[in-house]
Amino acid sequence: MNPSAGGNYIGRSVLRREDDYLLRGKARFVDDLPEARDQLHLGFVMSMHAHASIVSIDTSEAKAAPGIVDVLTGRDIAKLCQPIAANIEHPGHRRSRRPVLASDKVRFVGEHVAVVLAENPYAAQDAIDLVNVDYAPLAVASEIEAALNVGAPLVHDHIPDNIVFEEQFATECFQEAMRSGDFVIKERFRSGRIAGLPIEPRGCLAVPDHIGDGLVFYSSTQIPHMLRTKIARSIGLAESRIRVVVPAVGGGFGTKAQVYPEEIIAAAIAMKYRRPVKWIQDRREELLTNIHARDNLFEIEAAVTNDGVIVALRVELSANAGAYSSYPFGSIVEPLSARELIGPYRIRNYAYRARAVATHTCPSGTIRGVGQPTCFMAIEGMMDRIGRRLDIDPAEVRLRNIIKKHDLPYVNAVGVRYDTGSYEASLRRALELADYNDFRRRQPADRKADGKYRGIGICNFTETTGSGAAAWRADGMTHLPGFDSALIRVEPTGEITAYISHASGGQGHLTTFAQIVAEHVGARLENVTIVEGDTGLAPYGTNTLASRSAVTGGGAAIRASAKIAAKLKRIAGHIMEAATEDIRLEGGFAHIVGAPEMKVSMRQIAETAYSINGATLPDGEDYGIEAVDYYDPPLATVANGVHIATVSVEPETGRVTIDDYVVVHDCGRMINPLVVDGQIQGGSVQGIGEALMEEVVYDSEGQHLNASLLEYLLPTALDVPKFRLEHIETPTIDAVGGFKGVGESGVIGALAAIVNAVADALSGIGANVNRVPLRPAYLRSLIREAQRIAR
Amino acid sequence: MNDKKPIRLNVNGRQYERPVEARYLLVDFLRHEIGLKGTHIGCEQGVCGACTVLLDGRTARSCLHFAIAVQGSEVTTVEALASDERLHPIQQAFHEHHALQCGYCTPGFLMTTLELLKRNPDPSESEIRAALANNICRCTGYNNIVLAIFAAARAMGKNG
Repeated sequence: MNPSAGGNYIGRSVLRREDDYLLRGKARFVDDLPEARDQLHLGFVMSMHAHASIVSIDTSEAKAAPGIVDVLTGRDIAKLCQPIAANIEHPGHRRSRRPVLASDKVRFVGEHVAVVLAENPYAAQDAIDLVNVDYAPLAVASEIEAALNVGAPLVHDHIPDNIVFEEQFATECFQEAMRSGDFVIKERFRSGRIAGLPIEPRGCLAVPDHIGDGLVFYSSTQIPHMLRTKIARSIGLAESRIRVVVPAVGGGFGTKAQVYPEEIIAAAIAMKYRRPVKWIQDRREELLTNIHARDNLFEIEAAVTNDGVIVALRVELSANAGAYSSYPFGSIVEPLSARELIGPYRIRNYAYRARAVATHTCPSGTIRGVGQPTCFMAIEGMMDRIGRRLDIDPAEVRLRNIIKKHDLPYVNAVGVRYDTGSYEASLRRALELADYNDFRRRQPADRKADGKYRGIGICNFTETTGSGAAAWRADGMTHLPGFDSALIRVEPTGEITAYISHASGGQGHLTTFAQIVAEHVGARLENVTIVEGDTGLAPYGTNTLASRSAVTGGGAAIRASAKIAAKLKRIAGHIMEAATEDIRLEGGFAHIVGAPEMKVSMRQIAETAYSINGATLPDGEDYGIEAVDYYDPPLATVANGVHIATVSVEPETGRVTIDDYVVVHDCGRMINPLVVDGQIQGGSVQGIGEALMEEVVYDSEGQHLNASLLEYLLPTALDVPKFRLEHIETPTIDAVGGFKGVGESGVIGALAAIVNAVADALSGIGANVNRVPLRPAYLRSLIREAQRIAR
Repeated sequence: MNDKKPIRLNVNGRQYERPVEARYLLVDFLRHEIGLKGTHIGCEQGVCGACTVLLDGRTARSCLHFAIAVQGSEVTTVEALASDERLHPIQQAFHEHHALQCGYCTPGFLMTTLELLKRNPDPSESEIRAALANNICRCTGYNNIVLAIFAAARAMGKNG
């Protein structure tokens, strides 16, 4: 089935219009914007302690250094802007306020304690070293377990147990259900803390406008509208005087979907000093202060029948929240991924306790996939363990629990509606593509052939995408609008400009949204221009995060396009003296159905609408052709997919090689398969990194041990498999357009597929793989221990 | 430390002279003194490869060299690749194979590829991957870049 194929533009692998200027080196990322006259450069003094009182800060030497305009501390800056706090309306959430500069206490290594205002970045860097901060170190809790201990050092005095968020959920009669299986199987999973690590670090340029009472704020953000609202509130400037502009952005992966202190400070200083203010982050700052994620701990138990059917499932998920709640998501989204853990399975009895625990580490936030990769590591790991325990093939265990086609539409145990999906079909196709049964037949022999352990791992998952207002409200995040929007205008020459409330960081929106608008207005693709990432031009929205652009921006574009098309038809009908319902828009023309030679061009219609060709408009029709519309999608649009990885593990070194990798994916109707494949491949490699090598390491004193790319390992071209990728298209029927999101699926699928493959490889020697990353030292220790026991 | 000295550099066939501090990095010279902002900074440690340029035809990390230390060398940056209308065959291949997403790391990959194909016009897959291991991309997952380089090698072989 390929429902995309019928469209003129939707469903086609159109090459990206973004590429040309990026390839020529002509794109303007935030650090490439023209130097503003009189520009100041910011440099931040960072705490070297994870937890300490600030006794005093001596800025005199720094202030006297060449090229330094001023040095401000937390007390100075507190007069200019409010702390950052996410007001999450959830009974289990305890709010922490993050001062934009620490003034009394620091709570993680890298927290900013002073800001240097310099004439150039070199001078700023020099002066940072001249600021003398006297700290009185305090006791530290950097890990979840340490922070939960009785008497643990508190991160915030008003939160006595360091638990900043807690939610409990259980379906009716859960305890009873938990006793109704033939046995209960338990496991504990742990995942390492990761960084999102876009190759472009963050940055901003705040420019007071030509009158001086407003601000143009350039930022490498994913959320220009929410950033504008937050800056306005924090520095007390009317939101109508702030325009946030997003230049080219070098990747975000969620790390740029937060409002950070540097942005608030740059805006405040620009307005105070009436000078443009620029701040460009370096890599060390990026690793120390951009939100982290995935430091998760799972305790999971399943009640299972002897046929391998899960009758009840209980999960305890604790997430390391870091020192402050981030904005706008607070600390709640990663633990609340527990709601997504049951995925494509018919698990009717479900209970969870989800917690976020404050520690003296960098604040956590939303990195691509949020808690879904680790949740699927947990549930998919359980499927394999059930299979091993019962001697039923793990693929078969999944099939016995999967939501079948005849179950749809299906409302799961936590109330999420699955309207359409290809859960069983995707799994069966992926097994076929991976020659799964054949691998299983060969596996024991292979394991001996060259001394390597070989294994195969499945991740059968759902991806929650395109969340609407209902979803954010259910989580208490009422400050997230949930909708996105499109403003479409047919210009006097007949070309179309569409302003979308999103901000691409490499996803190719300028191409894919143009495909949607051209298709739905009946225009030629080359005559549609997309503008986004500019709050001065595009209407308000939730912006680009959580796999939502296709669903929310696409839906808004379709709705606004329908209004445009209706007006084009009315005017065309008037010109051709035909009934509106007989008009068809296609290829830049309006023609009469059944008489394609009877046509007028968009240009002619536009000239009529703008009163520049002497023709008259129909009675009662306004000038111009412009429409705005908003789209608030359902609670969730659920995509699905299956990744199957085949790996070998070298016993002597613990090194993992990925021998084969299969993806079958269903994100509903595809707008541009080329872009979809790119999202899946890139996301999968991030997931592979998360599985095999990536980890932000803090010691027990809260020192960040690997804040450089020499020590925070990322996958290279030598580490990645070739992907054998297929799509099944099952359009959503609940959301406009039929699209389901795809941005996070790669990460979600890859983590569990790799972990399960390695666990499968080592299960033969009795090793239990239950944490990531699977670095050689960890696997070696498991292998050594297994060999010791065997002896 | 703040004494500026005139530095002379040949970049993309043009001679430039600018007074800069002795500690001024080559990448800053390219970006901020002569306005060639296609060369990007990703880590300032020589790991990510976003700042890769050619120095006398060999790839170099422009974040690890002082401008003063490479006086007299010929520097080639991404801006030298395309003519006004046409993309370089390597750039064209990257476009056709969706070998870039955010595009931030891309100039570095292009320069690495340029050197590779000059040295080895018909590289094997493992030779391509070994060369690419000098550059980090966080968006694409690399496979489309490998495909693009095969295509570029074919295109350049035909034209050459």
